[in-house]
Amino acid sequence: MTHLSKGALVAVAASLLAGTAMAQETFVINSFGGAYEEAHRRLVIEPFEQMYNVEVEVVTAYSADALAQLRAQAGNPQFDVIHFSGGQEITAAAEGLLAPIMPDQLSNYDQLYPFAVEGLEQGQGPVYSVAVLGLLSDGDTAPTSWDDLFSAANGEDVAIADITNTYGLLTLLMLNQVRGGTLDDIQPGLDAVMELLDNGAQILSSSPEFQQAFAQDATSLAAYAQDYAYTLQQAGLPIDFVQPAEGSPGIYITANVVAGRPNEELARAFVDMSISAAVQAGWAEALRYSPTNSTVELPVDLAGQVVYGEEAAANLVRFDPVVVNAQRSDWTDAWNRAIAQ
Amino acid sequence: MPHAVKRTERDTGAFGESILLIGPGAALLIGAFLFPVGQILVLSIVPAEEGLSIWANFARFFEDDYYLRVAWRTFRLSVIITLVTAMIGFPLAYVVARTPRLVGYTLLLLTVLPLMTSVVVRTFGWIIALGRGGPVADLLSLTGLGARDATLLHTETGIVIAMVQVLLPFMTLTTLGVISTIHPHLEEASRTMGAGFYRTLRHVVLPLSVPGLVSGSLLVFALSISSFVTPNLVGGVRLPVMAGAIYQQATSTLDWNFAAAQSTLLLAAVLGLLIPYLALTRRRHG
Repeated sequence: MTHLSKGALVAVAASLLAGTAMAQETFVINSFGGAYEEAHRRLVIEPFEQMYNVEVEVVTAYSADALAQLRAQAGNPQFDVIHFSGGQEITAAAEGLLAPIMPDQLSNYDQLYPFAVEGLEQGQGPVYSVAVLGLLSDGDTAPTSWDDLFSAANGEDVAIADITNTYGLLTLLMLNQVRGGTLDDIQPGLDAVMELLDNGAQILSSSPEFQQAFAQDATSLAAYAQDYAYTLQQAGLPIDFVQPAEGSPGIYITANVVAGRPNEELARAFVDMSISAAVQAGWAEALRYSPTNSTVELPVDLAGQVVYGEEAAANLVRFDPVVVNAQRSDWTDAWNRAIAQ
Repeated sequence: MPHAVKRTERDTGAFGESILLIGPGAALLIGAFLFPVGQILVLSIVPAEEGLSIWANFARFFEDDYYLRVAWRTFRLSVIITLVTAMIGFPLAYVVARTPRLVGYTLLLLTVLPLMTSVVVRTFGWIIALGRGGPVADLLSLTGLGARDATLLHTETGIVIAMVQVLLPFMTLTTLGVISTIHPHLEEASRTMGAGFYRTLRHVVLPLSVPGLVSGSLLVFALSISSFVTPNLVGGVRLPVMAGAIYQQATSTLDWNFAAAQSTLLLAAVLGLLIPYLALTRRRHG
């Protein structure tokens, strides 16, 4: 037997073994595609595969889709760990689709800010990063408060997102809160938006429209996402992100263990790794998502580009996702009627 | 009578072939068009709450000032877009038909080119061109017609401009098809009889081009009344049109029954125009 064929035999045997191992240990998670999934693989998935000698299958599914799939598979779940960014973990936990995690099952539990583990008691997974809404300014102005949207020298320079964009919804709710409204009454928020529009503000639907508006100087102040501010900076635009004094609402991204799967322990290990300081620092570095782990250490320049530190994190605003999900379509309707010309 | 019998025999002979030829098209039409449209029709009469009449979704549309305004804007803009397209498309088709081949083909290529670009890319081009600080605003301020920060983005004028660009080929090509069948001798005869260029165009070419203009207009109207990418991006969220409203109801508020009712109304509006036209042309060309 030649050297070559011996090598081939070993390779075949190895692949057969790997095949068996994979059949036993297929570990399925969802991610959100694009640059996010790329970073996800590098930061969590690949190190996890090496550490636990397991093959991870990644299904690209956004939160709403992921929840729909989880529901459809209720009797025979196909995911081990599921990630949500739109508060779907609350619905999923309430419907018994998630396996509760005990604090002592996560080695990194004590390092997380309290808001990140609030949901554990209700059977939800921990928050491992936050995408923050705030003010993007091109440097002509130095905003400090949500009120600065109303006092811009030229009202036409102001842009906010449409309600079909999650950041638009959060802008409405934040302005509503600043103007004294509650989730039961968003009229103050709608009035605030109308005031902005009467001043000449624009409503944009998608991220590229914000980039175009800043690039053409059509906008100098916008309510939008911190991670997108970084994208704009990467594109060469001089954009500053400000977390206003009244606080910033965020999109809370959670990692959850799915109920009824054979390897819940491994799933918890995955979640534990997701909330570790090293991984969270990686997210901040790659895409400027804010960490929820208090021990994350970031270099000064990077720290200024995310919500960093206990005090800043405490300034994050979270609207009750149960109410938000229930009211969303009514709010969308009210918004459409208010803004239509 | 013998003639008629002979013809029937021949038709029967070709029957199998006809089925073969029409099969793939028919299958596609049934599977990809009639079936989903049928589903939409069914959805549209399923009331959102039990106990309501099957017309409830439609009633909701007609009782609501908001949706009526959206429908009116959609209809009004489609009419304007069709008229502008006809006014540009007819002379363009005439020039293409009557100039040397190379010039004509170049013009035609320039007209059709936008169709070969993705609608999103093309629309983003318009967003940049029409936006504040864009080239159109620069041009307006240079010519003293508008301020430097004037913008056509998020205006109905902007929607019309962007839509005319993409729909122009449909009008030009259908009209061109008809104009090229008009024999130049007719125009020469008219000129010989003392009619000037414009009079010939007005009294000879234009009347003979009507079939092309009408089918072009129908095509353009049907396409513009149902388009949503361009109106949504160029017009923005504050100038909703029907197709955009339907899209939002289907994807964001998840009110499928109401979205289906609006789609049915939109379809009815297009058919309401198409059927009289088909009946009319059938009578004329018999």
